[in-house]
Amino acid sequence: MQRSEIMDQIRKILISVLNHENFEMTESLSATDTDGWDSLTHMMIVSEVEKTYGIAFKLKELNKMRNVGDLIDLVVSKI
Amino acid sequence: MSEYTIRKANENDIPFLTDVVIEAEKSNCKQLSFSTLFNLSEETARKHIASMFDEEIDGCEFSLSNYLIVEYEGKRVAGLGAWIEAFDGNQPSAILKSNLISYTFGKDAVAYLKTKAHLIKGMLTEREPMTLQIEYLFVDYAHRGKKLGSLLFRTQEDLHREKYPELKKVQLHLFGNNYVAQEIYKKMDYVFVSSHKSDEPETMEYLPYNEKIIMEKTFK
Repeated sequence: MQRSEIMDQIRKILISVLNHENFEMTESLSATDTDGWDSLTHMMIVSEVEKTYGIAFKLKELNKMRNVGDLIDLVVSKI
Repeated sequence: MSEYTIRKANENDIPFLTDVVIEAEKSNCKQLSFSTLFNLSEETARKHIASMFDEEIDGCEFSLSNYLIVEYEGKRVAGLGAWIEAFDGNQPSAILKSNLISYTFGKDAVAYLKTKAHLIKGMLTEREPMTLQIEYLFVDYAHRGKKLGSLLFRTQEDLHREKYPELKKVQLHLFGNNYVAQEIYKKMDYVFVSSHKSDEPETMEYLPYNEKIIMEKTFK
């Protein structure tokens, strides 16, 4: 699966969980600069990504994740 | 006061710290959010809370090494956690806590939380980076009135200021119905900062109260 496909899928997850698309989907996009990406929605985003790809993140991997680019790297390493 | 001793927590304290979190989170009410919001029994929630301490993640409410314990005749009687928010570019504590919950509570619990998220959305609070954050105070009922809470607060503040002299502020978040605690904190020079309320009537079935407040103290 190509990186751009994963990014598009994650974009759809973000729109679904956050209920808006007022963000520019780039690899540097992070919780701090996205409306509604808070502690609650963060859990749901992680959960949806795991469900979509049938993967499970380790705690250390989650804690190192700073932005969408890191999330894509993680997904790529697991599928 | 000489019969009370204060020390840093270690892994042997996890069962007691789990009680500290549960008692503090309940805020003298029945509802334990770690149970109600995740559709878990209190016993299961207890196991998950202990598991979060086991992970030893620094920089959030479950940072084992940043808790202080008060002992009386060899028995643990009080505890208090603290950490520096987003220290040195760390993740915000809210994200670290979310990761811990996702990892330890499991998918079903998170899926249930999703159905109840609207109940607590209005009460979510942000923590200011590079401030000392204090969370989860509990004093055993038999040892209340001995100023152990003040002792723990003062010690946490002193320890962190000694290590990080650049610290300017200490903050705490508590339920709005915890009036006794608010009065005690005011006497300790904490001032009210903001209120964060849920307008959903159902919230009170899941949490001790529908309002969180932030108080803070600026270091002189």
